[in-house]
Amino acid sequence: MTLVQAGDPRAFEVLFDRHSGAAFSLAYRMVGNRVTAEDISQEAFLSIWRSRLRYRSDRGSVRTWVLGIVHHRAIDALRRNLVHDRRRATAEGLEERLEAPELTDVEVARRDEASQVRSAIGTLPSEQSRVVELAYFGGFTHSQIAEMLGAPIGTVKGRMRLGLEKLRRELVEQVA
Amino acid sequence: MARDHERHADDPAAYLLGALSELERQAFERHLMGCSTCGEELDHLRPATEALPRSVSPVRPSEALKSSVMEAVEREAAEREAAEREQPSRRRAGATGIRTRLRALVPSLTGRGPVVAWVSASFLLAVGLAFGAVGASLLSDDDGRTLAARVDSVRVPEASGSLTIASDQSRGAILRVHGMPSLPSREVYQVWIQRDGEMVSQSIFSVGEDGGGAAAVPDDLEGADSVAITREPSGGARAPSGKPVVSVGL
Repeated sequence: MTLVQAGDPRAFEVLFDRHSGAAFSLAYRMVGNRVTAEDISQEAFLSIWRSRLRYRSDRGSVRTWVLGIVHHRAIDALRRNLVHDRRRATAEGLEERLEAPELTDVEVARRDEASQVRSAIGTLPSEQSRVVELAYFGGFTHSQIAEMLGAPIGTVKGRMRLGLEKLRRELVEQVA
Repeated sequence: MARDHERHADDPAAYLLGALSELERQAFERHLMGCSTCGEELDHLRPATEALPRSVSPVRPSEALKSSVMEAVEREAAEREAAEREQPSRRRAGATGIRTRLRALVPSLTGRGPVVAWVSASFLLAVGLAFGAVGASLLSDDDGRTLAARVDSVRVPEASGSLTIASDQSRGAILRVHGMPSLPSREVYQVWIQRDGEMVSQSIFSVGEDGGGAAAVPDDLEGADSVAITREPSGGARAPSGKPVVSVGL
């Protein structure tokens, strides 16, 4: 990362190779089509290159930083209504069918990791996992979700908090 | 705990999930600056939100994505290298410095006392926008120094910036930024000099689609404490309406 911050394109290429799969997968999961997901990923990586001096290792891993920027860009795209065919945070499905037929070792590891996190999400009461997924992957605001579910805003926000709290506990237990 | 904590008590989870509207997000971030309880709640819940993208099965992007990203990265790196190579060979500015030339460009910016400056908004906007094109040439014959900007990691998390000051700092400076959020049409970024606790307006500007932009700081920087950028209503403000999103200590 030091070389990336010094402006070395070859070091940035290594960063791209390491994280572009996860970045594109997240964007694709959120917007549901490859063209828009690639646009978002491209914007995000150029933004990462241009703001490379902003990265601070004490605030989290490079992967977390990269995925945070991708998530932010995808939400912007969803809210600007650039994505006409929104997937609306459905469960896993389409991407499973479209994933690369021959996975690399890294992709296999990522798939296993994905399975573990999904298993933790699966332990949440459905009303909690629903609001978490609608917000994080669907890009909906809490008031849109409240309207969608016919629930008070306070209830929706409470479910978000309880959902994240439980998910955190599950993940800690998985590690333990 | 901040006085308005009750109003924001349920916001940390929604904030981490990206579920607050733009206005709610800004209000929460202002609250966050003075509320350690919410800060602790964010830190506590953050590992859960950071795990969510890891639940996604891998999907491979096309090769074209890498080509287009690396092409832009290599082009920008080459431009930067070329600019750095040229810098030492450039002759020092003659008698006509940045400030003098800016005076020609912006006559209304000169001759002000230490009061909050008010300059025609549309005129300043034009200067701010135009500066992206002319700023480089104004500095190109000057061996000034460049200072890195501090950015508000919550409100402009992807931003970076620098202030290039003329070797004679009385001749002003250019503030360049990257990765700034695009603003709605009713808002602009406004540049200020802070001196003895007083904020003096310098220029207003917008950023391009890539979040990049440049703005003039035409006033003498002698005795100034910092140069700062705030978000203001379209047309600019007579005094900053909020905390700076970017600042450069002098």
